[in-house]
Amino acid sequence: MTWPRRWSIPLLWLLAALLCGAIVLKTPVVADLTLFVPRDDPVAELLLEQLRSGPTTRLILIGLAGGSESDRAVASRALADRLRADHRFSRVANGDDTLPETELRTLFAQRYLLSPTVDPQRFSVDALRTALQQRLRELQSPLSVVQKRWLPADPTGEMLTLLRIWQGGLRAPAKRLGVWFAPNGDRALLLAETRASGYDLAAQRQVVTAIRAAFAAASAGTPIRLEMSGPGVLATLAEDTVRSEAEWLSVLAGLAMISILLLVYRSVRTVWLGALPMLAALLAGAATVGLLFGQLYALTFAFSMTVLGETLDYPSYLFSHRRAGETVTATLIQLWPTMRLCAATTLLGCLAMVTPAMPGLSQLGLFTMAGIVAAVATTRWLLPALTPADWRPPRPIGSGAWMDTLLIPRPRLALTIGGGALLILLMLALTAPPLWEDDIAALSPIPRPLLQLDQQLRADLGAPEVGQLIAITAPDAETALQRSETLARWLDARQAEGLLDGYDAAARYLPSQARQHQRQAQLPDPARLAENLQTAMAELPFKPDLFAPFLAAVAAARNAAPVQPDDWRGTLLGARIGLLLSPSAHGWTALLPLSGVRDPQALAAALPAADGSAIYLDLRAETSRLAADFRATALQRFAVGAALIVAVVWWGLRAWRAVAAALTPAVIALIFTVALLLGLGERLSLFHLVALLLVLGIGVDYGLFFSRPVADPLLRRHTLHALLVCCGSALTVFAMLSVSALPALHAIGLTVSLGVAASFIAALAAARPMIETMS
Amino acid sequence: MNRGLWWLLWWLLCWPLAAGAADDTLTTVMQRLAEVKTVEAHFQEEKNLAMLQQPLHSSGELYYRAPAYLRKRTLQPQPEDYTVDGDWLTVEMADGGRRDLALSGHPQIQPFVEAMRATQAGDRATLERFYQVDCAGDAAHWQLRLTPRDPMATRYLTAIVIQGRHGWIDRIETLEADGDRSLMTVTPR
Repeated sequence: MTWPRRWSIPLLWLLAALLCGAIVLKTPVVADLTLFVPRDDPVAELLLEQLRSGPTTRLILIGLAGGSESDRAVASRALADRLRADHRFSRVANGDDTLPETELRTLFAQRYLLSPTVDPQRFSVDALRTALQQRLRELQSPLSVVQKRWLPADPTGEMLTLLRIWQGGLRAPAKRLGVWFAPNGDRALLLAETRASGYDLAAQRQVVTAIRAAFAAASAGTPIRLEMSGPGVLATLAEDTVRSEAEWLSVLAGLAMISILLLVYRSVRTVWLGALPMLAALLAGAATVGLLFGQLYALTFAFSMTVLGETLDYPSYLFSHRRAGETVTATLIQLWPTMRLCAATTLLGCLAMVTPAMPGLSQLGLFTMAGIVAAVATTRWLLPALTPADWRPPRPIGSGAWMDTLLIPRPRLALTIGGGALLILLMLALTAPPLWEDDIAALSPIPRPLLQLDQQLRADLGAPEVGQLIAITAPDAETALQRSETLARWLDARQAEGLLDGYDAAARYLPSQARQHQRQAQLPDPARLAENLQTAMAELPFKPDLFAPFLAAVAAARNAAPVQPDDWRGTLLGARIGLLLSPSAHGWTALLPLSGVRDPQALAAALPAADGSAIYLDLRAETSRLAADFRATALQRFAVGAALIVAVVWWGLRAWRAVAAALTPAVIALIFTVALLLGLGERLSLFHLVALLLVLGIGVDYGLFFSRPVADPLLRRHTLHALLVCCGSALTVFAMLSVSALPALHAIGLTVSLGVAASFIAALAAARPMIETMS
Repeated sequence: MNRGLWWLLWWLLCWPLAAGAADDTLTTVMQRLAEVKTVEAHFQEEKNLAMLQQPLHSSGELYYRAPAYLRKRTLQPQPEDYTVDGDWLTVEMADGGRRDLALSGHPQIQPFVEAMRATQAGDRATLERFYQVDCAGDAAHWQLRLTPRDPMATRYLTAIVIQGRHGWIDRIETLEADGDRSLMTVTPR
């Protein structure tokens, strides 16, 4: 090897590594769960929009626990005041929904356009007299002190109607001392809506800090605790947890691998040589995903752990197969066909995961593919360039007779294992245990206690967790409102039939312009109204000119411009509307959340009669369905991957016998792994599936190596040694992952460690006997 | 030493004494009221409102049971029933309409309830949470002037003046911020 050639490879590698590193540093990491939802379903798209940027993602749920009840109520008010003054929040609700004076005035000024009780009969002599008598009775009540301010300009009581609608809405949490409390009273509740999306992690981090600071100021001197949840908060917390968990796990795993390498090969060189393919895999994987997607999903990072496990195998094959009198390159050339085939099977398995419909899964696939290519290439070309041609790990390999004992073909054991696998398969088919985890939250990288707090707060707050809703998409806000009005009438009738308890709609607060024009047309002209009022007032003790403001207000309302959504921007009124009516990708979306639906399916089935293009969303059923769809697609891809693996093994070995010998152990291992997982009470999620694909890859690797047509028994010992090292290190690393609190890491760790052990035993027991008995 | 200085000294000496005496009266009055466990009474109410040409008259019955039950049952000119028990206010109208609301959820209503209920209960702590309480007279003929503490409440309420003898409330006068006033006279049944 000449000098320039000897150094050109390391130099090239270093340049590539630096380039990849630069790309990775510029790639943002996102924790967007919606990347894992299929993209080609209109309902799903609407749901996604809600999940991704809908108002629900921008909610932060806050609980104030500890201290006395009045402490909590006072802190709730103080915290709400502080947060309302912060421009980063579009809405802060704590039950203290008394509208500010300016907004009361706005509502009051627009009452004849907004109030649903305005109709042609409203201003007749009889109706006016009834209304005036009612007002007189109210004046007698002890509560009149608060209400009478509106009387001279509103004798028909439209403002009262509007306030009742405003305070109605969907069910709200119970109040104590004027603010929201959990049903048992042990925490005060607040709801803050951020302007930034729940997935804008940088902004959410700021918001969380702002809430902490405001809370510290609002609760100074009391023993109150702050509890927070919501998509944004969870995303930031998840990022922190994933990071810290991944950090200490990778440090531990790294230490374990170093110890194994040192223990087995007694050479420091193996440690840094072994680390190079791993580093190459990480950098190349992350850079490829960064280049193609512009962002890295946090889960892809978690998954990179599994790639780390597999990339250590390649240098181990090399170290264990080193023999005296053979150059490093010669060993590699001799191993290359099998190693190449191993890499190709994993590559093709991952190729199956790449589909534009599922960006998240594609990321995982691409990451692994790029990582495997980089690791194999590094082992094949960089490692020989960095080692002396005759370098060998100092520890003599394959000296023990126990290895030969292990290697004795045991056809009976193989048959038992194979038979056992068939039996398990039969049992699984017959009993059909619950196999799949369809709760989309199980995909979440969030630790359980945080999820439980989130559920608790949601249950306490009640209202924001909207399970059933009807969605309308329309080209503009006006159309959306008009269709909401039609639907609202239909829902009123269903409510009267007892099919549901209630609903909310933007049109309740803000009628469409058409409806407002209709009301304007129904307002009497000033002269007639004055005459009617005069007659109605006879014999009632009101002062004669008292209602002049009323006459003026009705006259003004006849020519007023209708109220539009924009008129309420930045107000509490606007915030309430904004939750129910918002611009979307295709125009405007109006949401009608329902409560207490008795039979969602029947209601959904009847919906087209009221509005043909309205969509009924049962969020829980829908997310479960999406998870199931997603799993079905992933399973399909898994099958395609398996088929590709068979194809490439056939292409590499060109003999059905050898193919069967290489693949059977992997299949047996898969069956045992799934059975063990189910036996441990796990439900299979995305992570299990992806990890199973990895297990398949590893199992095929083991099968390929064990079934290599090698006559030399010493070489067979070398192979056994290599596979023992691979299996041992993989077991160590993945067993560590399986104790992680993060559902994703736990699932991957458990599946792979079980799978690796099963693969090794199956390959050792079955691969050789199959080759030998068949030949 | 001149006269002015003597006066000043005299005042400095007497002021805490006088304040202490008023405080003493309030304590005594509160004790007397607290001793009363049930009240049944008639009431007459006259409201003078700027919006109306003539005052509004109403009458009915009052019931109180220590420590937290108070019912104002209007019989004339139309029946209306307000019952406060603990934190719950129940309003029953002539037409059969009924509303239940939690006082703690309606901070604008609670001061009105407590003016009467906490006074009759002799619950000084609650009374002073909502009002600044000024006491005049003696235990035999006392007058409490309740000025609301909450700035929200001062927007529509100037003061509530309660007069009584020993453990009995005779008159409750409500002075609203806009000049409207109402006077309720209470007589034993």
